[in-house]
Amino acid sequence: MRIKILIAVLLLGAGLVLLPLENWVRAERTRLKYGGARVSIQLREAIGQNLAIALLAGMRGIVADFMWINGHDYWEKKEWLRQYRNIEVVAALQPQAVMFWDLGQWHMAWNIGYGVLSDPKNRTKAEGLKREHEWHEKAREFLERGIENIPNRYDLYFTMGWLYYEKLSKDCDQPPCHEAFCKAAEYFGKAASFPDAPQFVTRFYPRALEKCGQTRAAYEEWKRLWFLDHSKVAQSWNIIEREIRELENQLQIPNDERLFPPPLP
Amino acid sequence: MDAIRTEQLTKKYDLGWRKGRLLALDKLNLHVHEGEVYGLLGPNGSGKSTTLKLILDLISPTDGSAWLFDVPCNNVVSRLHVGFLPENPYFYRYLTGAETLVFYGKLCGMSGSSLKQRIEELLELVGLTRARDRQLSGYSKGMLQRIGLAQALIHDPKLLLLDEPTAGVDPIGSKDIRDLILRLKGMGKTVLLSSHLLAQVQDVCDRIGVLNLGQMILEGDVKSLISDQRRLSITVQDLPDDARARVEEAVRSAGASIVSVEHPQTTLESLFLEALKKDERGMGRHD
Amino acid sequence: MTNAAAVPAPSSSHDRVGFSLNRVSVIGVNTLTEAIRQKVFIFLLLVGLVFIGSAIFFSQYSLGEQEQLKVIKDTCLGVISVISTLIAIVGTAQLLPSEVENRTIYTILAKPVRRFEFLLGKFYGSVLLLVLSMAAMCLMFGAVLWIKEQSMIRELSQTYLGETQAATEQANQQIEQVRIAVLDVNMVKAVLTDLVKAMLVASVTLLVSTFSTSLVFNVAVPFMIYMAGMLRGTAVEMWSSHRLAMAVLAIVPDFGLFSLADDINLGNLVPWAHVDQVIVYGLARMVVIVVAAHLIFSRREI
Ligand SMILES: Nc1ncnc2c1ncn2[C@@H]1O[C@H](COP(=O)(O)OP(=O)(O)OP(=O)(O)O)[C@@H](O)[C@H]1O
Ligand SMILES: [Mg+2]
Repeated sequence: MRIKILIAVLLLGAGLVLLPLENWVRAERTRLKYGGARVSIQLREAIGQNLAIALLAGMRGIVADFMWINGHDYWEKKEWLRQYRNIEVVAALQPQAVMFWDLGQWHMAWNIGYGVLSDPKNRTKAEGLKREHEWHEKAREFLERGIENIPNRYDLYFTMGWLYYEKLSKDCDQPPCHEAFCKAAEYFGKAASFPDAPQFVTRFYPRALEKCGQTRAAYEEWKRLWFLDHSKVAQSWNIIEREIRELENQLQIPNDERLFPPPLP
Repeated sequence: MDAIRTEQLTKKYDLGWRKGRLLALDKLNLHVHEGEVYGLLGPNGSGKSTTLKLILDLISPTDGSAWLFDVPCNNVVSRLHVGFLPENPYFYRYLTGAETLVFYGKLCGMSGSSLKQRIEELLELVGLTRARDRQLSGYSKGMLQRIGLAQALIHDPKLLLLDEPTAGVDPIGSKDIRDLILRLKGMGKTVLLSSHLLAQVQDVCDRIGVLNLGQMILEGDVKSLISDQRRLSITVQDLPDDARARVEEAVRSAGASIVSVEHPQTTLESLFLEALKKDERGMGRHD
Repeated sequence: MTNAAAVPAPSSSHDRVGFSLNRVSVIGVNTLTEAIRQKVFIFLLLVGLVFIGSAIFFSQYSLGEQEQLKVIKDTCLGVISVISTLIAIVGTAQLLPSEVENRTIYTILAKPVRRFEFLLGKFYGSVLLLVLSMAAMCLMFGAVLWIKEQSMIRELSQTYLGETQAATEQANQQIEQVRIAVLDVNMVKAVLTDLVKAMLVASVTLLVSTFSTSLVFNVAVPFMIYMAGMLRGTAVEMWSSHRLAMAVLAIVPDFGLFSLADDINLGNLVPWAHVDQVIVYGLARMVVIVVAAHLIFSRREI
């Protein structure tokens, strides 16, 4: 009997001694933003009993993947609202997953957007445009939450830039809308500032600047890119050269200031 | 110094909730001297195995204590010089005979070529050389008993504790084991063996103790216990009837009395041994 | 018997028998050779390998390369985690009871072997079993990743390379990203913490099996403790204000702390310092549990 008490005390004591370490690790997890939405009643209803158990057993990733794959069904059946809710749940499960935010907004702005635009139930073309615009807005709002969750990677800034550049730029009285391109430039610029951003990302920044109307700033940015070390940066240099030549013509830069002066006659 | 010494050794088994306790061994004072073969006898359930387990610290005494070569039994050092053969021994089924001995040898801190050599000797000794590379799952009961003996001997211990060493072994094997015990005695080893087959122990034991219901009820020198100094038996061969009458007459005239006259029967065991001796084939033949 | 004595002549009662890692490892290796023949173990390992292998097919339901790789990694690391936990329970539950039942323990403890050495040897055997089975599953996982990588690279280069310069560049970058994702050394961290977790589960099972001989009990109780430990993190968050509840909860290890795979697969930063803390936590818990098991086992009647 004494030994049983001793063992209980030992196990409990060890647990209490290790409690600070445990709490520390847990706090570290919160700080590093591990995990995702806690299993609440609402979440359990959204994902079902079995998946909730899997979630509690520590298989968050598998649950999210499974739900994501399942979501393709809704898309194929054009059940937009269901698909949208599914995307929201998956993103809540793994808010650190770039993939779910990225593909989620793509579904909303591109697939669902096109789906409602071409919906035969629309009475007028304008109604389709209006509904499409609503989905663009949903995508933007969704992606903003994504950026809040993952602010330290280039990915979602680029995605947001692309959303403005490709979709939101069509949502004004007389497209293309300048402001949207300026916003796009802002996000592309932010994305390009990450050292690990791929090179094609850096080229979108000056492109958007150009469309925003800041031609001079775009030209300076192209030049800045050109002067990076060619032996170290794997860039498509000929694309940059073409863009610079074009802008040098457009801005009527004097020949002796040009990076690529015209050949001597 | 006694090889084994126990003082007031007592064991009560807990039978579980509300069933009380069972007195399996009651204040046993056992002294086994170095170099002797001691037979612990008694009917089933008399406490023989309990005694051995207590000595090996496999179970702890309710009261009293035990020593091996003056080392308390709850000290692991006491087991340095002991070899133990449990009743109905059982080993890892997937190991071969030789691998089993390697395992026990390593547990005793042996290794390398000395271990290898020792294993060959022991396999030869217990007659399992031919079966050395067979898995124990295919061993017969008697073969398990033999590998058990080899295992007990692996580290050349001073003291051997054998719990029913001849149980499940055929008469020839049983004779082998008894011969082996005598050889071990010849080498100066101490042996404690338990048995309920009285006939088998009387040839090998120097002393015996008889347990019943956990108590030692009889102990002593085998020869003095079983020989009766007042009686004498003479076995003769081819005695004619008239000569027999003269012998009986001589006995009566000397003032003695004849208690019984009978034809001695050969024992079944010796008949069996005789027949097997003529069969040249050994055990574990591969053909 | 010949006259060659194989061990030094027995000396007096001043002999000493120290704790010997050598004996522990002899018992451990022996335990392993026995354990790998258990049918449940082989069954579990096969199930694990089949699931890992079939991750290739699951992943085909998803679209992009990164998405597919995430599904593969989530699935495989999840399977490794679950199967290793089950192997820890099932592989350990019968180690002590079967020794007692088969009475092999008599001959071992009759040798100059400490009970603690025997217990540690058994535990070491089940750890070896875990390392071995996890290594097998990791090999399978590696093979799956490699096959997927090759097929993705082939597909990407066939579709885009040589079309336009920008497409080529993008394809090359995607191939690079695939390579990076496949060769993510961070996955080692997930496997390491999983191993520590499985060892901790094995120690819990060992503790339970020191006082119970029932197979069902020895499997069910550790499993329940494991589930309780998985839910503990949630419970701690909810009841952190109740001192008493916290104290009672403290007896169960927080098994949720060992799940790093999800975050690693998301590319979340998982510093080694953090992994180290988790490992220290697991090992500390394990040591205490093994000591508790020893306290029971050393007094046990055999
Ligand atoms: N683990 C145990 N729990 C309860 N009772 C036990 C236990 N082991 C032995 N006993 C009881 O103790 C008594 C002595 O048993 P023990 O095994 O020592 O007898 P034994 O002399 O070796 O008998 P046998 O000749 O049948 O081997 C028996 O009544 C037995 O039922
Ligand atoms: Mg017995």
